[in-house]
Amino acid sequence: MTVDMSQFYEVFFDEAEELLAEAEHLLLGIDVESPDVEQLNAIFRAAHSIKGGAATFGFMDMTEITHVLENLLDKIRKNEMALTTEHVDAFLAAKDVIKMQVDGHRHGSDVNAEQVSDVAMMLKSLSEGKAAVVAAPVEAAASVEAAPAAAPAAEVAKPALTITDEEKAKGMTLYDVGLPTVTEKDLANLKDELALLGEVAVYQRSENVHAVLVKTDSSADDIVSICSFIVDADALVIQVAGDTTSAPAPAAVETAPVAAPVEAAPAPAADAGYGFFDNDPIIKTDAKADDGKVQVAEEMGYGLFASNGQDQQEEGYGFFAPFKPHPDAPKAQMIGDDNAAAAMAKAKAEAAATPVAAAPQEERRQQQGRRETDKPAAAAQSAESTSIRVGIEKVDQLINLVGELVITQAMIEQRVNALDPVDNEALINSVGQLTRNTRDLQESVMSIRMMPMDFVFSRFPRMVRDLAGKLGKKVEFVTSGATTELDKSLIERIVDPLTHLVRNSVDHGIEKPEVRREMGKPESGTLTLSAAHKGGSIVIEVTDDGGGLNRDKILAKAASNGLPVNESMTDNEVFSLIFAPGFSTAEVVTDVSGRGVGMDVVKRNITSMGGHIEIRSALGYGTTISISLPLTLAILDGMSVSLGKSIYVVPLNLIVETLQPRAEDLKTVTGEGLMVHVRGEYLPIIALHALFNHPTEITTPTDGVLLILEADGKKSALFVDRLVGQQQVVIKSLETNFKRIPGVSGATIMGDGSVALILDVPAIIQMGQTTNYVTGGMAFSNQNYLTSQNTINA
Amino acid sequence: MSTSTEMSNSLSGNAGNGLKTAAGEYLTFVLGSEQYGIEILKVQEIRGYDAVTQIANMPSFIKGVINLRGKIVPIVDLRIKFNLGKVEYNEFTVVIILNLNGRIVGIVVDGVSDVRELREEHLREVPSLVTRIDTKYIVGLATIEQEMLILVDIDKLMTSDEMQLMEAAVH
Repeated sequence: MTVDMSQFYEVFFDEAEELLAEAEHLLLGIDVESPDVEQLNAIFRAAHSIKGGAATFGFMDMTEITHVLENLLDKIRKNEMALTTEHVDAFLAAKDVIKMQVDGHRHGSDVNAEQVSDVAMMLKSLSEGKAAVVAAPVEAAASVEAAPAAAPAAEVAKPALTITDEEKAKGMTLYDVGLPTVTEKDLANLKDELALLGEVAVYQRSENVHAVLVKTDSSADDIVSICSFIVDADALVIQVAGDTTSAPAPAAVETAPVAAPVEAAPAPAADAGYGFFDNDPIIKTDAKADDGKVQVAEEMGYGLFASNGQDQQEEGYGFFAPFKPHPDAPKAQMIGDDNAAAAMAKAKAEAAATPVAAAPQEERRQQQGRRETDKPAAAAQSAESTSIRVGIEKVDQLINLVGELVITQAMIEQRVNALDPVDNEALINSVGQLTRNTRDLQESVMSIRMMPMDFVFSRFPRMVRDLAGKLGKKVEFVTSGATTELDKSLIERIVDPLTHLVRNSVDHGIEKPEVRREMGKPESGTLTLSAAHKGGSIVIEVTDDGGGLNRDKILAKAASNGLPVNESMTDNEVFSLIFAPGFSTAEVVTDVSGRGVGMDVVKRNITSMGGHIEIRSALGYGTTISISLPLTLAILDGMSVSLGKSIYVVPLNLIVETLQPRAEDLKTVTGEGLMVHVRGEYLPIIALHALFNHPTEITTPTDGVLLILEADGKKSALFVDRLVGQQQVVIKSLETNFKRIPGVSGATIMGDGSVALILDVPAIIQMGQTTNYVTGGMAFSNQNYLTSQNTINA
Repeated sequence: MSTSTEMSNSLSGNAGNGLKTAAGEYLTFVLGSEQYGIEILKVQEIRGYDAVTQIANMPSFIKGVINLRGKIVPIVDLRIKFNLGKVEYNEFTVVIILNLNGRIVGIVVDGVSDVRELREEHLREVPSLVTRIDTKYIVGLATIEQEMLILVDIDKLMTSDEMQLMEAAVH
């Protein structure tokens, strides 16, 4: 996969930072004695969102820690565990660690792996109900002692089953499945069920609490789905045993003794300590981390860290200055007043053992501070949030107001145009200026709601990869036009249908590698997701180079489903059958797709957004599903046309061209259906006055204007009296106070305050002809063509 | 262009008396030679008849839609619907803008007469007889100063299928 995910990272980082800030805010405000369930839920959701995002972007380190955090939070919010201050401290520590990881990914700053694993371990031991390591005494010595205590916690899972590296390489994983309290019988059942996946060993964690070790090549989800038959899936705690999460634990324990001598030794020993640490790349981070503290504390520190470079120290000052007002600052100052070396050593010991508590909090801040000082000031600034979140109703209100403003402006313009241009030159110029400004304002306001398609596309690479892996297929995923912008409300609503289409393409479209090889195609299929502007709409296409749709199979299936079909249907019509409810030709129903629910929902969703969906497919070569959506639902570029005394608005994007036909270009079919010959194509003429039963003087196409309209791949010529002009109109719903009217998609208010109806072009084309119209025109049937022929021919 | 009169809403209590309607203030209007009354709470404003945009293939009594300060509002001519009175549109033609649970609809009538406060003693049962307006939309009769007032359940009438103002088969 060649998708550059990095462009979406910023969004995730922004969101993660916001969520972290929010979680911190909630944590700080939480009442430990009687925590508000809503607050706990909010914190849980924040952790969960970060976990989801991190997993999507493949930041596994963040996923791991958020996962354990989430587990613990889940227990607390479900009242399986009472909230204590230790928990809150641990959560805050976790928040800092996650922030550190986010920064690490974002700016390439260092991530203190030990600190991460320490926090993860602490969370884990807390969620296992162990006496927390956390109550971290500020005394360095105590925390050093506490560190080894964490070791047994990590080893609680006395594995009756182990996994070798060799097995791991084969894709086997050892899962540690923590169970809620279950009966002996259930436990036995569960064991039998899980045995289907691989090797299983049950062990007892404590009284009534069992856990199962499962060695399998299946995923954790599979375990959950099996267990959910017997126990509540939410109560399961699945961890990967003997894997990275617990691997760093021993490292943390080892660190403790290292820190101990430092603590024990006075100032001279600090030097030695540093020498020692410098040789150890992992702990070096800690040593540097302390720079900050020492720099703040006393000049003496400089000597020690001269090797870090003068610049950095200066920047360091610049950076730390704002930190002083922080409540922790006085403490840092106080430490500074003590013997610097001792403070340093103490801090180091804490950092090494990191069973986080009150004191390390501030220390970690400084660590972050140091990381940021490493970078140019610009980078530090970019960390500031550059977006604000505003309620959608405020934006909508703004858009509505601007819509009204546009109408008013158009009214003024119209009135001014009636004035004498010489006498009122200044006024006319000013109004011209107003017109431009209004248009700019409108565009800017509309763009607030616009979001790039990235937001949708970025979800898919991973999904496709996982799905392909599951189905044993090779799929190369390509996206194009991800910067194409679309209204936010549409973006949100397009996700589900697109997900469905992508799944379908991977499951049904792209063949297995061996099949592809036989057919002479490259083993790995290509799935393309593209978005592009086309007129006033956005066209999103899901293309695969798979097997394509089998016309005969679909027809047969449709016939057996009792749908009205016949052999003479066009491909387009046949393919549209797959949007019928309950339609699936998949031979095997997989868990991915094939149940026949979905395509009808997809179509319904797209239609409700004012869009259209279309399938192009060639058997053996692949399928393209094309969705076209309006850019926004509020404003339309329209062409006003007149009919008698009324004005109608035709969406500009659906007009191919306008022309005044010559008499010799008008043809009839079987003496009635009127057609116009345009550049080799015969297009049916739909007389709007006849369709709408609207009185007008102009009843012969040669006297009026033909608008060549195209919608749903069909073209027709709409016959109206005159073109009036092109303008942007604000779409108003007729349905608010009235009802849907055939052939009319909405209404708008014109410059003079009158109402003009907006034509629903696809519906009008449909109304003008019932049978499917094939480009080229000869298959046109005029069953439903209205009674205007006589007047036209007269 | 419009002479709109915002009506103040000051309805008194709704003491039930066995009749389908209740005492309160009613806006009375003329259709042909008959006086009709509708609950004043349903009335949003009264304005002149102006700039109605026709809508294709609608029954003749649906005159079209107007722009009511940015809202698209359908206009129904009750004179045509019930075949009462003379149908002509001039500066004296009156449109009553109704607000029926948030849906705004305008009705064209021959003229607006008054706002009357009806007390229980004014109210009479509807005799069963054939009228142009189905008796199911008539909630009662009232007599004031020797004049008969036909009280219409305008909500029910305007949302009925026969007015064709709503999507069919929603009820």
